[in-house]
Amino acid sequence: MENFEASVGYGWYILTGAWATVQLTVFSCAVALVIAMVTGVAMTRNSHLLRLVARFYVEFFRGTSVFVQLFAAYFVLPLIGITLSPIQAGVLALGLNGGAYGSEVVRAAINAVGRDQREATIALNLTGWQALWWVILPQAVVLMLPSFGNLAIEIMKGTAVASLITVSELTFQAQTVRSQTGDTAIPFLLIMVTYLAMASLMMSFVRWLEKRFGRGITSEST
Amino acid sequence: MGLHVAPKTAEQSPIIEFRNVEKSFGAIKVLDQLCFSVKPGEHLALIGPSGSGKTTILRMLMTLESVTAGDVVVNGVSLNHEYKNAKEFPASEAHLRKMRSDFGMVFQHFNLFPHKTAIQNVTLAPVLTGLLSKAEAKKRGLELLEKVGLADKADEYPSRLSGGQKQRVAIARALALQPKILLLDEITSALDPELVEEVLNVITNLRNETDMTMLLVTHEMGFAKDFADRVLFFERGKIVEEGPPGEIFHSPLHERTKSFLRKVIAAGQRV
Repeated sequence: MENFEASVGYGWYILTGAWATVQLTVFSCAVALVIAMVTGVAMTRNSHLLRLVARFYVEFFRGTSVFVQLFAAYFVLPLIGITLSPIQAGVLALGLNGGAYGSEVVRAAINAVGRDQREATIALNLTGWQALWWVILPQAVVLMLPSFGNLAIEIMKGTAVASLITVSELTFQAQTVRSQTGDTAIPFLLIMVTYLAMASLMMSFVRWLEKRFGRGITSEST
Repeated sequence: MGLHVAPKTAEQSPIIEFRNVEKSFGAIKVLDQLCFSVKPGEHLALIGPSGSGKTTILRMLMTLESVTAGDVVVNGVSLNHEYKNAKEFPASEAHLRKMRSDFGMVFQHFNLFPHKTAIQNVTLAPVLTGLLSKAEAKKRGLELLEKVGLADKADEYPSRLSGGQKQRVAIARALALQPKILLLDEITSALDPELVEEVLNVITNLRNETDMTMLLVTHEMGFAKDFADRVLFFERGKIVEEGPPGEIFHSPLHERTKSFLRKVIAAGQRV
């Protein structure tokens, strides 16, 4: 019984880490989304320079581990005068890394919107950017959403690496409890369930977005 | 509707001129030294077997294809080249946008925007191009939908419309930009037979009520005959024969035209 009360006590302690995990997830996803959109769109434009810069970005951040990027953000950036809090460093690394993966999703979705749609925008004398914003992207977003949902969950799970630079998020708290009590099963079961609950919430949100943006599109293509 | 009233007289300068136009896709020559012109307000039907280059002509005018050689001239201005300080340059995007504003195009597969309702499909371009305010575009859009018999479908998404209704929305959308020249690219080819008539009726009304120049690519010979002032018969990127519909359909001179029409009649079409 004493053991149970102790478990409840450190259970709360672990859950206090959930807030940091949520913060890391939300901000990293926001950064990743913006970067994915900008670089993904850049890769579909005619300008060689834009495409080259975007391609370099994607290959660099996809090709180096998020682990290394995190350490660089936290330990190397201060050497050039940029000091970030652990959470900021975590958001930067996870956002830049997630953005690189998301970029390919955006590029593929834009290219998947049919040529007939592009030709209609030319026949209606829209500019390239008008066509992108009003016609191509609204249709492409529907195609992006399922992959973005996956990516958001990847980012959420990836927030655990931030424990390595002392962010007191779920995994960090669980490790602390484990090292102090020697109990492994309960702390890790608890964070597992918490991660799962967060992932389910995120998926529900993505499904709602799919419905919201899918009007007129999902039943058939015209 | 911006009607461009112009009396049809013989001495009028052409609104469209193809000057020795060539178009190749890789090794395949689609248009071969093509020369013809269109008078303002003229209704032209382009007929011929598949792959004879008819659609490419419309796509060139809409700037969806460029020429391999030669020149397409619209209202005396080259579509493919610009001239600065008497030097010739390939047409810039700005030049193409200016030239495009004379044209409207209706596609074989409608190409409606699936995420927009019928009325939004019609109003998007006039608002974005600055032609009309939102309120004007809405008013004008509803008038156009009314004209094509779809006033009650204004708020439907294309996925809820039949093929014939979609194509009528597409016609209204093309008209919303008040084009001087309307390009109709096999607009009934993707439709079930019972839906063809409702679309052709809309075109017939447009033909009779406006002064728009209209170029029609079609496999509906009966309609081409009623619609056109002049028919061009194409084969392998060249005009084989041209003339008033009565001549082309009833007393064609060229053996190729005759055999094409025989095949069409054998397939059950009224000519």
